[in-house]
Amino acid sequence: MQHLLSYLIFLPIIVGLLALLIPAVYKSVFRIIALGVSFLQLLVLLLIIQSYSPIGSSFQLIEKASWITLDLGAWGVFKAEYFVGLDGLSFIMVLLSVVILFIAVLSSWNTTQNTKGYFILLLILNGAVLGSFSAKDLLLFYLFFEFMLLPMYFLIGIWGGPRREYASIKFFLYTLLGSILILIVIIGLYSSVKEPGPSVQVVHTFNMEYMKDSNNYVSGSVLNYSEPWIIGVWSARLWAFLFLFIGFAIKLPMVPLHTWLPDAHVEAPTAISVILAALLLKIGGYGLARLAYPVFPDGAVYFSWLIGLMGLISIIYGALNALASKDLKRLIAYSSVSHMGFVLLGLASMTVEGISGAIYQMFSHGILSAMLFLLAGVIYDRTHNRLIENYSGLSSVMKSYTVFIIIAFFASMGLPGFSGFIAEVMILFGAFKSHSVNMLLPEWMAITATLGLILGASYYLWTIQRMFFGPLSVKVPGDLRDLDYREYAMLVPLALVAVLFGIFPQPLLDIINPFANELADTIGRLVKVH
Amino acid sequence: MTAHLAQDSITLYAALAALLLPLLSFAVSTVIRNRFSRVVSLMAPLLLLLSFLCVCFITTQVSMETPFHFQINWFALADKEITFGFLLDTRVTLMMIVVSGISFLVHLYSIGYMAGDPGIKRYFAMLGFFTFSMMGIVMANNLLMIFFFWELVGFSSYQLIGFWNNKPAAAMAATKAFIINRIGDAGFLTGLMILWAYGGSLAIDTINITGIPSPYLTLAGIFIFCGVIGKSAQFPLFTWLPDAMEGPTPVSALIHAATMVAAGVFLLVRVYFLFTSDVLMLIAVVGGITSILGAIGALLHFDIKKILAYSTISQLGFMIMGIGAGDPFASELHLYTHALFKAGLFLCAGSIIHGLHKASVEKSMDVQDIRKMGGLAKRMPVTFLSFLIMAGGLAGIPFSAGFLSKDAILTGLLQGHIIFLIAGFGVSVLTAVYTFRLLWFTFLSKDSLPEFIPREQIKDPIPMMRIVTIILAITSLWLMISWSPVDFNGWISNYAQGGLLINSTLITATSAIVIVFTGLIAYLYFKNKTISKKESNVLLSNFGFDLLYKKIIVTSTLRLSNHTLHFDRRWIDGFIHLAAYAQVAFAHFMGWWDKSIIDGSVNGLAMAARGIGSVTRSFSSGKIQSYILWSMLGLIIFIIWILF
Repeated sequence: MQHLLSYLIFLPIIVGLLALLIPAVYKSVFRIIALGVSFLQLLVLLLIIQSYSPIGSSFQLIEKASWITLDLGAWGVFKAEYFVGLDGLSFIMVLLSVVILFIAVLSSWNTTQNTKGYFILLLILNGAVLGSFSAKDLLLFYLFFEFMLLPMYFLIGIWGGPRREYASIKFFLYTLLGSILILIVIIGLYSSVKEPGPSVQVVHTFNMEYMKDSNNYVSGSVLNYSEPWIIGVWSARLWAFLFLFIGFAIKLPMVPLHTWLPDAHVEAPTAISVILAALLLKIGGYGLARLAYPVFPDGAVYFSWLIGLMGLISIIYGALNALASKDLKRLIAYSSVSHMGFVLLGLASMTVEGISGAIYQMFSHGILSAMLFLLAGVIYDRTHNRLIENYSGLSSVMKSYTVFIIIAFFASMGLPGFSGFIAEVMILFGAFKSHSVNMLLPEWMAITATLGLILGASYYLWTIQRMFFGPLSVKVPGDLRDLDYREYAMLVPLALVAVLFGIFPQPLLDIINPFANELADTIGRLVKVH
Repeated sequence: MTAHLAQDSITLYAALAALLLPLLSFAVSTVIRNRFSRVVSLMAPLLLLLSFLCVCFITTQVSMETPFHFQINWFALADKEITFGFLLDTRVTLMMIVVSGISFLVHLYSIGYMAGDPGIKRYFAMLGFFTFSMMGIVMANNLLMIFFFWELVGFSSYQLIGFWNNKPAAAMAATKAFIINRIGDAGFLTGLMILWAYGGSLAIDTINITGIPSPYLTLAGIFIFCGVIGKSAQFPLFTWLPDAMEGPTPVSALIHAATMVAAGVFLLVRVYFLFTSDVLMLIAVVGGITSILGAIGALLHFDIKKILAYSTISQLGFMIMGIGAGDPFASELHLYTHALFKAGLFLCAGSIIHGLHKASVEKSMDVQDIRKMGGLAKRMPVTFLSFLIMAGGLAGIPFSAGFLSKDAILTGLLQGHIIFLIAGFGVSVLTAVYTFRLLWFTFLSKDSLPEFIPREQIKDPIPMMRIVTIILAITSLWLMISWSPVDFNGWISNYAQGGLLINSTLITATSAIVIVFTGLIAYLYFKNKTISKKESNVLLSNFGFDLLYKKIIVTSTLRLSNHTLHFDRRWIDGFIHLAAYAQVAFAHFMGWWDKSIIDGSVNGLAMAARGIGSVTRSFSSGKIQSYILWSMLGLIIFIIWILF
């Protein structure tokens, strides 16, 4: 069982490529293949869970192989590796991804248009997502990161709603801008970091672990610690952090870089919305916690106030927009903006509670947003209309649907007993405590963030009141049948996971805490130095 | 600990059973098939009875000196553990008795009241879930756990207020209740943040308040009190409670009178040690304002349930004022007695509504309006008698439990500022008046029921419902507190070791005289009076607070949200589009530049070359004549060049 991670990453990609050979007329073969791959991945995941031990913050299930080694003479050696492994952060994200990708296949079950293309793109996306969550070599990470963009663009652009072209182009351009900023920093890091060791020749590496250690920076290079280049008002290191931050904040998404999200969600088919909200947004938070914060802790400290503020603005601004949204899916999309704002706030606090909470929130939001978008998909499936004003009193005809809506909405607004509550409590505790621990965030930020909880209750309950309560009246044609078995099969596990980790958070925290402790320590040491 | 292990573990099992049996009731009611929904209405009360018996057992196992304490680690936050556990002292067990006892009685009552309702499964499920959450609040040993159950209680309240959710008013009331509670809860959570950051723990027995800087301690107290303001419907967040009367009446009895709204008072007593004198002052003032406002509301309303709801607001305010300015135990005592008689009053109101509803079958009328009642004493004698006894408790006439507990609060208020004592007496006078008004126009005044109701159809409800009101009426007598009808220091205060107050004969005598006198005056006043038909709009909108909140908070939030959405579209997307257009325009310019300037210059060069080429090509065109011409021309130029 040595190459578990590689199996996980390359199984969907290889199967996807092989499936290209099957003629497109066998329409229903592709969904079975996709489901089979996802099922195998679940099995591999079980093996991974079994062999992962949550002690310590070091990487596990490491696979390392040389990939590109180029001797550039006077410019040193260009070295990129195939290097994957899991620590607490990656493990949580991989766990989430495998589950969500399985559900996404189920949710796409009734796709009829060009199934071959759809499921093959889905498989490639699958591999790319898992790859970016496991890669520990920066070039490899970037490769997977960019690789997600392509299938996503086509999945929205071909299988999407009426304005799919606009939405997919917008998604593509926004993300591309972020990618360019990240690429600039990657080049800077490559040129500044060398592999430690006695070698006479400088070996430039993309290994993220080496980038955390200030001793590995070539003296006089762009991003070295002791005397970094000064570009304009800030040092190159601060710029680099800012670029990475913006790059990942677009993905997250952070206000005001978020407007691709509602459009992409509204136009994307249900399964793609699920993947987008549950996994692709998490790449933003993951990138911050994996790369931006540990590699540039100085930048993280310098900008923490601003990041906290942006998090706070995202929380409140996203919630306000959700309140004003007339389309159910748009409402849920904006609620994602609000909830991901909590991730930023938690990270910005740089306390153990805040960081753990941020990661917990990413997991929890992954589960809950998947549920929410599946539920929005249910009503769209019945009537092809998602405008809230067209419905009233649905609870009398779609009883189970209403039950799940209530579960998902309350879970998402952070009702105790669901995972969102634990996450938000930890983030708020951390953000408030920050002032007395490391002086990074003022206390009013955490206090103001509780407004997000009130607004969250408002937009969800108002929606329930308008769509599900009151006398029955549906202004659009359609067969309002209740949930079917396939929909139960998707919703019940998600609800159970949300409840499980809302009541017993410790198993997840055991995995997250070593990572959070280490990151908080890094920052803590830095704050003491200042 | 080890010595009492066997005994302790039995207590632990009992505690777990007391907490989880209602949850079991929820689970079974949820999963059971619709065909068997009748089973639910038997099973749910049975499970609640078992839970109640467990609580009774626990009551015998603990004393104030040896509370039962059990905890396990729930999760680790940073380097500290948050525990999940029970801290059961005698005051907690008393509250548990009240919660599980009333919940059991309400379950019993609901069998009759809700019979035939299609949503009966959902009803009992949520009632069970509520009881579970409420027990959780009471038993919890740390504040995060209290908050956990605190919000769950809010959720069950939401579900039960909106039980008949196809009625828009019920749906609206449910939403309103939850959101207003959420506002309070946001404050509560902020209080917890402060305690976590500075106190280093959230467990009730280990919060280190000496380590908290005093402004933070005051702030924490104020924020926690926000939660109480929300949950116990205090000024200025009281507006949800009258609306919450849209729920089924047994629910109003259990949740919106006896237990959930009392959770705020319970919490205040539980964390009394956190409050600085400033916070206590604030608590007393808010409680005082609420108690008077609520009493006025109760005096002027016509809807029987709303009168009781305002009365609850007022009584809760009274208790909270008692905590702020007097003795917390006195308020706790009043909490118990109030829970019993107010639950009973609501259930009696339920019997009336149920009775009138059945009698007026097929004709729709507002069966809750006391202007359309009167003379019910003859028709529903058992309900009348129970109501009478419990109304005595509410008004606080001697020989009722309410008299003693009110007495305790007033005695406690002797310690505080005189204004609170005056307010306390004022409230009790008002309470006596509105209670009498309610009693008079419902049961005793002349019959004002609509003509079409056949009078002989109006009857006491079925025995099961009757028994419940009788039990609650009996528990509203003074014997619940002590043997002596004039001394609140009796067996409850002995059990709970709360008898720190010395009974003041002066207060007892004064309050007895005042109440009897007030009752007399009220009788003389209302005797020949017909109730006014007019309803004031200010009252209907909760003293205008509804309007205020709607105008200021709701409307402006919605307007703001529309602005932000517009901002998204107009400015952020606008900027993106502009950037995109700019890029496209630039690309077009580049295209033109490529084609016209760069390609143009390349093509220009090529054309020049071709022109020159065609000229030079003509030198060698193959015609003899042109060769001779060019060579002659060349020769001439050469000669000229040589010569000059």
